[in-house]
Amino acid sequence: MKTRELSKRMGAVFGAGLLAASLSFGATAQERDSFSLAWTIYVGWMPWQYAEDSGIMKKWADKYDIEVDIVQVNDYIESINQYTAGQFDGVVATSMDALSIPAASGIDTTALIVGDYSDGNDGVVAKDAESIEDLEGTTVHLVELSVSHYLLVRALDSVGLEERDLNVVNISDADLVSAFQTDDVRTVVTWNPLLGEVKDYPGATELFNSSQVPGHIKDLALVRTEVLEANPELGKALVGAWYEVMGILQSDTEEGREARAALGQASGTDREGYEAQLAATRMFWEPASAVEFINSDQAREAMDSVRQFSFDKGLLGQGAMSPDFVGIEFPDGSIMGNEGNVTFRFNDTYMQMAADGEL
Amino acid sequence: MRLINRHPGGAVALLLGLAPFLVLILIYGAASQQRLAENPNDKLLPGLEQMTSAVNRMAFQEDRRSGDYLMWQDTKASLQRLGIGMGIAASLALVVGLLNGILPLARAGLAPLVSTLSMIPPLAILPILFIVFGLGELSKVMLIVIGTAPIMMRDVAQRVRELPQEQLIKIQTLGANTWQVITRMALPQVLPRLIDAVRLSLGPAWLFLIAAEAIASEEGLGYRIFLVRRYLAMDVIIPYVIWITLLAIVIDQLLRLTNRRLFPWYNAGGH
Amino acid sequence: MSFITVNRLWKEYGSTIVLENLNLEVEQGEFCTLVGASGCGKSTFLKMLLGQEGPTRGELALEGEEFPGEPDRNRGIVFQRYSVFPHLTVRQNVLMGLELEQKPFLGKLFGQARRQALEKVDAMIESVGLAHATDKWPHELSGGMQQRLAIAQSFIMRPRVLLLDEPFGALDPGIRGDMHELILKLWRETGTTIFMVTHDLQEGFYLGTRLLVFDKVRNDPQQPEAYGATITYDLPIGETNGQLYDSIESSVSKTARNLSA
Repeated sequence: MKTRELSKRMGAVFGAGLLAASLSFGATAQERDSFSLAWTIYVGWMPWQYAEDSGIMKKWADKYDIEVDIVQVNDYIESINQYTAGQFDGVVATSMDALSIPAASGIDTTALIVGDYSDGNDGVVAKDAESIEDLEGTTVHLVELSVSHYLLVRALDSVGLEERDLNVVNISDADLVSAFQTDDVRTVVTWNPLLGEVKDYPGATELFNSSQVPGHIKDLALVRTEVLEANPELGKALVGAWYEVMGILQSDTEEGREARAALGQASGTDREGYEAQLAATRMFWEPASAVEFINSDQAREAMDSVRQFSFDKGLLGQGAMSPDFVGIEFPDGSIMGNEGNVTFRFNDTYMQMAADGEL
Repeated sequence: MRLINRHPGGAVALLLGLAPFLVLILIYGAASQQRLAENPNDKLLPGLEQMTSAVNRMAFQEDRRSGDYLMWQDTKASLQRLGIGMGIAASLALVVGLLNGILPLARAGLAPLVSTLSMIPPLAILPILFIVFGLGELSKVMLIVIGTAPIMMRDVAQRVRELPQEQLIKIQTLGANTWQVITRMALPQVLPRLIDAVRLSLGPAWLFLIAAEAIASEEGLGYRIFLVRRYLAMDVIIPYVIWITLLAIVIDQLLRLTNRRLFPWYNAGGH
Repeated sequence: MSFITVNRLWKEYGSTIVLENLNLEVEQGEFCTLVGASGCGKSTFLKMLLGQEGPTRGELALEGEEFPGEPDRNRGIVFQRYSVFPHLTVRQNVLMGLELEQKPFLGKLFGQARRQALEKVDAMIESVGLAHATDKWPHELSGGMQQRLAIAQSFIMRPRVLLLDEPFGALDPGIRGDMHELILKLWRETGTTIFMVTHDLQEGFYLGTRLLVFDKVRNDPQQPEAYGATITYDLPIGETNGQLYDSIESSVSKTARNLSA
């Protein structure tokens, strides 16, 4: 009793302390007028850069009388970790990482925008093997537990193989291209723009790519559910800005070409390179098509497959006894998994508003 | 009494030494408790219970997929790399350092190269290391070697040059040839200093080891930390970091004791 | 022909002249003490005898042969400090020279050869009075004992010339007296030719057979490096009187004042 009292008091003392304060949740649910969204360089997320540079984000934020800070983070996983720790109100991520990091950590997260799914942007590239069957017994380098890992498992599954039939070696994305130049590395699984680089290697063949599992690797813009509920303007401003940018990026006008050139340059390539990446990405240029996709059976099956993979790999954490550990809510209100622990929600309200021209 | 003359007694010193650790643990505990109260699934600052269960799972239960005890397997892999890397680095440092320190001709030829090499940040030239050494164990070991050997070479050479000129003359008047000067005067006196240099280089060596394991690997302490970071498994990362710290302290103290045991003259101020 | 011949010897470092026109003949078995103010070239002369430095001009010969340009086993040395090996015990320190001589590659003796060598070593240690400290490390010895060890280390090699560079400069006066006895005893026993540099004029007069005073004959206060030192007194010891002692003393201290000005 006494120790408990003491520890409580100590907790209060230190809890008020500087260090503890900095470690506690930064983003809270109260009504606010200033928000931040973290993003990392990737074909489907580059539009956020354009939204910031062109002033479109500011225009939409002003319209709803809020401020939105778009922050570029160099390390993708770190940006999601920081979001999970409470340093950002929103972040961009694939559906798999959204599930395994914030959602599995108990951070109730809403997928506000379904931006695209990978339609060839992720692939398996080999120097010797000519088909996925040939990979049996070989070594494959990839970023373990990433969408590449997931893609490999899907690819193996498509020919009746399993991961244990080959040897997976972890490699950091930053070093993957240079590693592919060495003789040790015979097969890699990766994403663009790295994928383009390794495909250019003389004699390299692409054995499988994400266009063979359409809709599985989704790129999302996530926000904290409680922040969104308390501040619907944030959702409106982000979605409004996003689809205005989509309109420009898609267009065959001078403005559209300039935008694609600028984003190509910002992601280390040029306009042609960026357009090639866009071609391998199923962008939802129109909000209506995103809404349609996320309500489809295809999206639901893909999500089921992703959560199975995440559970198998232990990504849902120690507490997870089955893939059902995390509840995933779909736009129609149906829930996949544990209804008592819904921490990942697909919400099409705002995209629908954009489709209906109500923003 | 002036503050500078007040020395803590045994018990007080121990208490003063432990106090900062206790404060850190308390701050962590409070912050962790607060976060877990707000969100029981929080992964950023896991509580003691989550961490012990993670350690139990990593160290004392077979992995579901591979059937290995992951933490021991990681520890073994990492220590092996560290040991081989530091072994090669120390041997190179000894040979090059001795030659550089004692032979003016070798010094003229090698010293500028060694000084330049010791300034290169090895992590910045990783792609070249991959091409040269491949992606296997060799490149990890070589990263440690390249990262630590040049500085130790300079250190050993410096120690050799610090040996009193009088000794160098004296041994020549006893009829020593160059080989004997190296093996009977410089080498035995520089060995304990080499062990000190190794102790100082262990910090950077761990850094390079973990960096190397993060790049391409199937096992190892650094590999595991970077892997589980992908799903914010701080309940694994924090015990791993504590384990690495413990290992580093133990290795450091073992080297210190080895030095004392093997070179009694050195530690009694006989140099 | 003399044992050691020094003939019109000059030593210069760039434009600084250290020694000028040195002439000297030394017979085998002599015990020469070298005195003079600091910077008067007596240590430089010792280094030339040792082979650590070469002459700029002139002749320096041992039995008519030019001195080798590097130290060798014919010329032993005892410095003021640092001339024993800290990583070897007293016994190992004295044994070192014998091992180096007999085993050019290994540098270590084993078995019978080692036992034979150790007999010599222990006798040497005994004669310098370190028998009680055979297995001690140098850092456990006092300054005087360390110098005894250094002397034993050199004497066991039976060098043809033994050079002592202010060997007792760092010792207490009482201990210095014991060391004087020791060095004279070993000199008488072995008949080695000895050169000893000292700061202590009295020591210079007391020890040895011959006193060599290094001093500058000419001095330019504006340009102290323009002139070198030479041997100003070369005296067989025993024929000295108090007046001469005072005269050397004042000459040497005058030069010292000029040099430090």
